[in-house]
Amino acid sequence: MANDILLKIEGLRASVEDKEILKGVDLTIRKGEIHAVMGPNGAGKSTLSAVLAGKPQFTVTAGSIEFLGQDLLAMSPEERAWAGIFLSFQYPVEIPGVTITNFMKTAVNSHRTGKGLEPLKAGDFLKLMREKMAFVQMKPEFAKREVNVGFSGGEKKRNEIFQMAMLDPTLAILDETDSGLDVDALRIVANGVNALHTPEKAAIVITHYQRLLDYIVPDVVHVLKDGKIVKTAGRELVAEIEEKGYDNL
Amino acid sequence: MTEVIIVSDGQLVRNIEVQSGDRKDMVLLVYPGVSCDVKLDVRLVGEGAEANIYGAYVCGGEEKVKIAVDMHHDLPHCNSRQLFKGIAGGTSKVDFYGKIIVAQDAQRTEAYQENHNLLLTDGAKVDTKPQLEIYADDVKCSHGATIGRLNEEEQFYMRSRGITLEDARVLQMISFIAPVLENIPEEEREAVALKFEEAVRNI
Repeated sequence: MANDILLKIEGLRASVEDKEILKGVDLTIRKGEIHAVMGPNGAGKSTLSAVLAGKPQFTVTAGSIEFLGQDLLAMSPEERAWAGIFLSFQYPVEIPGVTITNFMKTAVNSHRTGKGLEPLKAGDFLKLMREKMAFVQMKPEFAKREVNVGFSGGEKKRNEIFQMAMLDPTLAILDETDSGLDVDALRIVANGVNALHTPEKAAIVITHYQRLLDYIVPDVVHVLKDGKIVKTAGRELVAEIEEKGYDNL
Repeated sequence: MTEVIIVSDGQLVRNIEVQSGDRKDMVLLVYPGVSCDVKLDVRLVGEGAEANIYGAYVCGGEEKVKIAVDMHHDLPHCNSRQLFKGIAGGTSKVDFYGKIIVAQDAQRTEAYQENHNLLLTDGAKVDTKPQLEIYADDVKCSHGATIGRLNEEEQFYMRSRGITLEDARVLQMISFIAPVLENIPEEEREAVALKFEEAVRNI
């Protein structure tokens, strides 16, 4: 059904510093679906996630992206976030001097202002923070830490999923969330993502390896190679890739 | 007792002597719209004297901010620290000159000086000249100066969480200045922090 469509990417081409990375991507995602985008290094996986989130350094040269019927490419990164898009970064950025509490308070209240709501009361905000931190097994003292500064790889990724839980997006894009994670952290992160998933939402899981997809089971699997989606199938494609590699598809 | 000086237009000259066992703490604040020429001469004249001099400046228009600090270590076992941080936008011009002079007798000196700047526009200009003159051999001294821009990776990260570009810039600038403001006595700190927040929001 057409009204089930959450995201529709058509003929998307994007460049960075005049180098074309995405060379015509088509992708449709419906409510309730989890899509995996797999591919070798340099295929354009991270570019796709950056373009969806609106990173200014990337230039879209052709094509369109519709998110819940809105023209995503006409929106700023913050407007995309308010509309329900969340990107979990492959390399979460350190922000010295800004505590997680202050960062998230600003983020949550920006979302509320963007939707015409009053800022959250301080007590309600702290309660929400505590609840969501516990959800990804982050210790409460992290609230006072500077964003990602001195965090281990696993702590950074848990912080991403904590932020995702706080902002409750409709479309979550997980860019190489498994990189740098040991198996325990991987499980915490995957459980978090699975628990946040509902039939009204969708997720794009971008990954090089099968590992994460053992925990977050995709409905649809795409292979991105040299800026194009070269193959789309069900979850059985994951095992095929693991067996044959990307070169023999 | 920390002395907080809100610098006004014009010249400010201070000669400070710190006696043996004494300590001088000072925070200089330069708000937008203020053009100033500050000359501090700090002399540690007794063994074990200590001086901590901090400064923050925010300029968004046509201000000219000039700050010069001479820190003299004359005798052994004295400590000094200087931290100046500032933001230059518009067509403002910042000149920072800081010198640490360690006399031959001033063994076991510890002296540090840092000046860090954020440049917001192509029209703004920052000159920073940290200097060390050391005549003693058993000392710990360092100086450092940087001039940088607001980090765009940080901005995109914040915006991807729904924080507006304007709020992201304010957060970045506040966190940049914060290490200076931390040295203001607690009862005055919040009022100053609010004033700086307003200043960077309107820059």
